[in-house]
Amino acid sequence: MVKRKVGALEKIDADLSSLQYKARKDPSSYREDFYSQYQQYESIRGIFLRAPSSTDDSGIVKIRDLIDFISHVADCYPRETATFPDDLIQLLSQHHDQLQYELRDKVVSSLVLLRNKDVIDSSTLLNTLFPILVSTPSKTLRALLFQKILSDLRNSNQKSTNHRLNKTVQSVLQNIITSDRTSPQGIWAVKITRELWKRQVWTDAKAVEIMKEAALSENEKVITGGVSFFLGSDKEREEADESSDDDGVNVGKLRQKLNVNKKNKKNEKDLKRATMIMKKKEKRKGQPDILNFSALHLLHDPQGFAETLFQKHLQNKYSKLKLDQKLLVLQLVSRLVGLHKLTVIQLYSYFIKYLSPRQESVTSFLASLAQATHSLVPPDVLEPLVQKIANEFVSEAAATEVASAGLNAIREICARQPLAMSDTLLQDLVMYRKSKDKGVMMAAKGLLSLYREVGADMLKKRDRGKEATVKIISGERKEKRFGEVEGGGIEGLELLEAWKEEERQKRLEANGGVDDKEGDSEEEGWKDWDAESDTSESSEGWIDVHSDGEDIQVSDSDDEKPPAKKMKTIMATQEAIKENGVSTELSAKEKAQNLATTRILTPADLVKLQELRMQSGVSSLMRQKKIQQKREEKHADDPLTAADLEGLATLSAKRTKEEKIAMAKADREEKHLSKSARHKEKKISEGKSTTNKEKARAKNFFMTLGKAKGKQKRSLTDVRRTLKGHVDRQKRGGKRGNAGR
Amino acid sequence: MAGSTKKKDFQKTKHRVGKAKPKPTNATNTSFKAKSITVKQQALSTTAPNSSSQFAHYLALVTHKGDSQRRDAVAFLTTAVTSTPPNQPLPQPVSVIIEKSQQLILDGTRSVREQLLKLYQSLPPTEIDVRSSESLLLYIRAAMTHLSSEIRNSSLDFLGWLLQVDGTGAVSSQGGWVKTLQCFVSLLGWREHTATGAWTGPKLSFGNAGSDVKAMAKQLQALAAFIRAGLHPHNRDSDGIQNADSWFPLRNTESHLISGRSNAFSYLSLHGATRNEDTEMYEDREDRQRIFHALFQNAITKGVQQAQREAGEMGRASVQVKKAVSDGMADFVDE
Repeated sequence: MVKRKVGALEKIDADLSSLQYKARKDPSSYREDFYSQYQQYESIRGIFLRAPSSTDDSGIVKIRDLIDFISHVADCYPRETATFPDDLIQLLSQHHDQLQYELRDKVVSSLVLLRNKDVIDSSTLLNTLFPILVSTPSKTLRALLFQKILSDLRNSNQKSTNHRLNKTVQSVLQNIITSDRTSPQGIWAVKITRELWKRQVWTDAKAVEIMKEAALSENEKVITGGVSFFLGSDKEREEADESSDDDGVNVGKLRQKLNVNKKNKKNEKDLKRATMIMKKKEKRKGQPDILNFSALHLLHDPQGFAETLFQKHLQNKYSKLKLDQKLLVLQLVSRLVGLHKLTVIQLYSYFIKYLSPRQESVTSFLASLAQATHSLVPPDVLEPLVQKIANEFVSEAAATEVASAGLNAIREICARQPLAMSDTLLQDLVMYRKSKDKGVMMAAKGLLSLYREVGADMLKKRDRGKEATVKIISGERKEKRFGEVEGGGIEGLELLEAWKEEERQKRLEANGGVDDKEGDSEEEGWKDWDAESDTSESSEGWIDVHSDGEDIQVSDSDDEKPPAKKMKTIMATQEAIKENGVSTELSAKEKAQNLATTRILTPADLVKLQELRMQSGVSSLMRQKKIQQKREEKHADDPLTAADLEGLATLSAKRTKEEKIAMAKADREEKHLSKSARHKEKKISEGKSTTNKEKARAKNFFMTLGKAKGKQKRSLTDVRRTLKGHVDRQKRGGKRGNAGR
Repeated sequence: MAGSTKKKDFQKTKHRVGKAKPKPTNATNTSFKAKSITVKQQALSTTAPNSSSQFAHYLALVTHKGDSQRRDAVAFLTTAVTSTPPNQPLPQPVSVIIEKSQQLILDGTRSVREQLLKLYQSLPPTEIDVRSSESLLLYIRAAMTHLSSEIRNSSLDFLGWLLQVDGTGAVSSQGGWVKTLQCFVSLLGWREHTATGAWTGPKLSFGNAGSDVKAMAKQLQALAAFIRAGLHPHNRDSDGIQNADSWFPLRNTESHLISGRSNAFSYLSLHGATRNEDTEMYEDREDRQRIFHALFQNAITKGVQQAQREAGEMGRASVQVKKAVSDGMADFVDE
C-alpha cells in the first residue's frame, strides 16, 4: 500500500517528535499532554491486540510511533508508565511470531532503550530476549536480538564487571545447553559466549564451563561450536585486541580538516572527542596488561573432560560426527593431553587405524598424534605408532611428500618423547638424509639433529657430530630416563658468585684482612633500588623486607650466628676447597645454587648478573639451547597443525615457470600509475564523480564550439559594455579602485 | 572517465542506416489475426451490478487511501441504508458495517468523519449489539485522546450517538466505564496531581489550538450524558414484577436463565487478556457507582466547581454534569 499523504494541518497537529522534545526538556509542564498520549497508546493498543497481525498503517497515528515516543520519555514519567515495560514484554513474548516486522523491531529497540534509561534492569531485558532468540523462526529477528543482547551485556560490563548479571546470564546459557543436549538451540549460547570471550567481557572459568558443556552436547553444531572455541578463541581474542588498538581516529587529519573546511560546531566537537579518545588510549597504554588466561588453562578437571570427549565423540561407535568434525574433537583432545600432560592411554591405540597415506587428511591425524605426545607417555605405547608411520610413510616406494610428512611427524613425536624411538629404526631413518629430494632430505636432517641433542648414543658413531661425541666421551651427556625432570636454575649465577668472591678478596686486601662492609654493601644494593623505584614510598616497608631476608639466612643455616660471621664461614670452606684444588664444575654449580637459596638477590645483584652474562657471552653459548627452548615453548602452548608437517613437502614439489615468476614478483605493484591517475582510479572505485575541470576536458568538442565562437562575434552592445567597463576601471585605477587612498 | 565504470541509466541505442529499427522493450505484439471474436458470457440484465454487490464493493472502499473515495463510499452506504425499507434486512449485517467502518472514527479528514456519523445515525439502533458497541468505544476512546483536536471534537459526536443507541451496553462493556472516564478527565485536564504541589499547570497546552470555551462546553455535555448513562437508575425492576405472574410457581426465573445477549459470558474473559481495575467490566450500577466514587468523583466535582465560575455556555454545561453526578450518586452509600 502506498503511504497516505499527510495534510499540512495534520502535520502540525500529530507531531509526536516535537512533543517528545518538549516533554524531555520540561517534564512537569507537559505531564498532561503526555498522559493524554499515553491514554491514546492504551486505546490503540486495545484495538491492536484484537488483531495483532494487522498492519497499523491505516490511521494517522501508528502504534509504533506511540511506543517509540513513550519509551523515549518513560524516564520522565515513571508513575504514569509503570506498566508500560510489562506491556511491551507481554506483547513481544506472546505475539513475536505474528507481529509486523517493523513494529516487532521497534518493540525490541524500545525495550533496549528502556534498559539504557534504567527503567528496567538488564536481567529483565535478557530474560525477555533469550527465550525469543532461541524460539523465533525469523532470521532477522534473531540477528537483531543477538546483537542487542551482546551490546547490553557489553554495556553493563563496561565500567566494572557486573558479576551478578554475568552469573545469572551464564547460568541461563548453561541451562540452555544442558537442559536438552540434543537440541540445536545451544548454538546461541555458544555464539554469545564466544563473542563475549572474544571481546574480553567474560574471561572467567564459568564461561569456559559453558563451552565445556557445549563440547559434550549431542548436537553436531553445538559440539563443533564448543570445540572450535577451545581451539581458536584465544587467538581470536588476541587478534580482536590488536585490531581494536589499530582503529584509532586520526587527530592530525581532523585538525587539518578543521583548518581547511568551513568551521562549524560539529567538526570542533569531532576533534575534541578524537583527542579525548587518544588521551584515553595513551593512558591505557601506560597501564599494565590485564592478564587473561587461555580457555584451556581455565578448564576445571581437564583429565575428565578429555576422557569424556574421547569416549563420547571418538571411541563411541554410534557418534554421528563427520570426519572433519571428528578431527576437530581429536585436535582438542590431543591438545588437552599435550598441554596438561594427561594420561589417556586408549587415545594412542585409536590412532593406529588412521595412520596410512591413503587416509583422508592424514596429516591432521599425524599432527594430533604428535600433539598428544608428552614426556610422561609410556614409550612402549608410542613405539608401535612410530614403527607404523615409518613403515607406511617412509620408504623408497612412497611419494616424496608422503615420506617427508612421515619423517616430520616422527620428529615431532620424538621431540616430545625421545624414548619412543629404537636405535635400529632411527639409524635407518637417518639414512634418508642422502635422499635426492629436498623435502625428504631436510626432514631426515631434522630428525638427525634432534637426536644429536637428545639421544646421540642411539646414532651411529659417524652421525653423532663433534659436539655430541665430545660430550659422550667426557661423560657429560647422560641419557634421560622416563619421567625424569630437570631442576631449574638461574643462568650465570656462578659468574656472579665468582665476581662477589673477587670483590671480597679485593676488599680484604685493602682493609688488611677485616671484612666489615659485607652487610653494608647489601643494604646499599637495596637502597639504590628504593631510590630508583619510588621515592614517595616510606622506607619502613623496605626495611621490613630486608630483615626478612636476614631471617631466611639465619633459619637456613640452622644456627644462631650473625650473618656476617656466617658468610665468613662459607668463605672459609670455599677457600679450603680452593687450596685442596678440587674445585670442579659440579661444586661451582652447587655453590651457585647455594647463593640462590641462601640469600635474596638485590636489584643491584640482578643488574650485575645481567652485565656478567653479557660479558662472558653466556647467551651466545646458550644460543643452541635457546633455540631448543623456544621450540619446546612453542610445543607447550601453541597447537601443532597439519601445515607444520606439510611444510617441508612443499620444497620437494617442482614449481612451474609461472609460479616462480609470481613468487619473484611477490607483492610488487602490478603496473606503474602516476599519482593523479591513482587518485582518479580511487575516486572512481569509490563511486565518486570527477571534478568540473575534468568534465570540461572530457566534453564533446562540438558542444564547446558555440562558446568559442561567441567570443568573437559579440553584439555591438556587448562590445560597448565591455569597453565602457574597461574605461571605467582605468579611471578608478584597477578593479578595486584607489579612490579612497 | 567516471562514466566508464558506472552503469549508465539511459542507454541510447544506435540507429543504423539500412537496418530495421529495434523494437522497444515494451512493444505489444499485434501480429496475430482472429477471424471471429467469441464472447464467453454476456450480462443480460440492463441494470448492471445489483445493489448488494455494490454495497459490498463500497464497503470495501471504506478503507481506500484517497480521502474523497472514502467519503463517497461512506456516503453511498448511508444512502443505501436509508433507502432500504424498515422491515427489510440491510444488504450486510450492521455488525459487519460497523467493524469495517469504525476505524474511520480516527480518520484525518473532517468530511469523512462527518459522513461516517451520518451513516451511523442512519443505522437501525436495535441491531447494534454489545460486541460492536465495545469495539466502537475502543475507537472512540482512541479518538478522544488523539493529538488532533478536530478528531477529539468529533469523537464526542460519536460518543453521543453511541450513548443514545446503546448507553447501557457501552458503559457496562469491558473497560468501557473506567477507561472512558479516564479519557474524559485527561481531556478536560482535571486529573488530580498527587505528587506535584499546589501549582496548577497550564491545561493541555500542546496541539490544542482550538481548546476554546465552545469545545470545553461540548466536552462537558458529553461527560454529563456519559455519567447519566452510567449512573442513572433504570426502571428494569418494574418489568420484572410485571413478568412475575407468567412464571407463577417459580420466582426470579429470569435471573437464572442463560442470557439472550451475544457473548453472554464475556465478563469471565475466558479467551482474553487478564484484566485489571481499568479493563474490568462494570455491569451493575452499584459497581459503577463504587468505582466512580473511588477514582473520579473528587476530580470531577473539583473540576466542575472551577468550570462553574466561568459563566455562559460552559457554566451551563458544568451544571448539567453536576446534576448528573448528584442524581446518579444520590442513593450511593459509602461503606
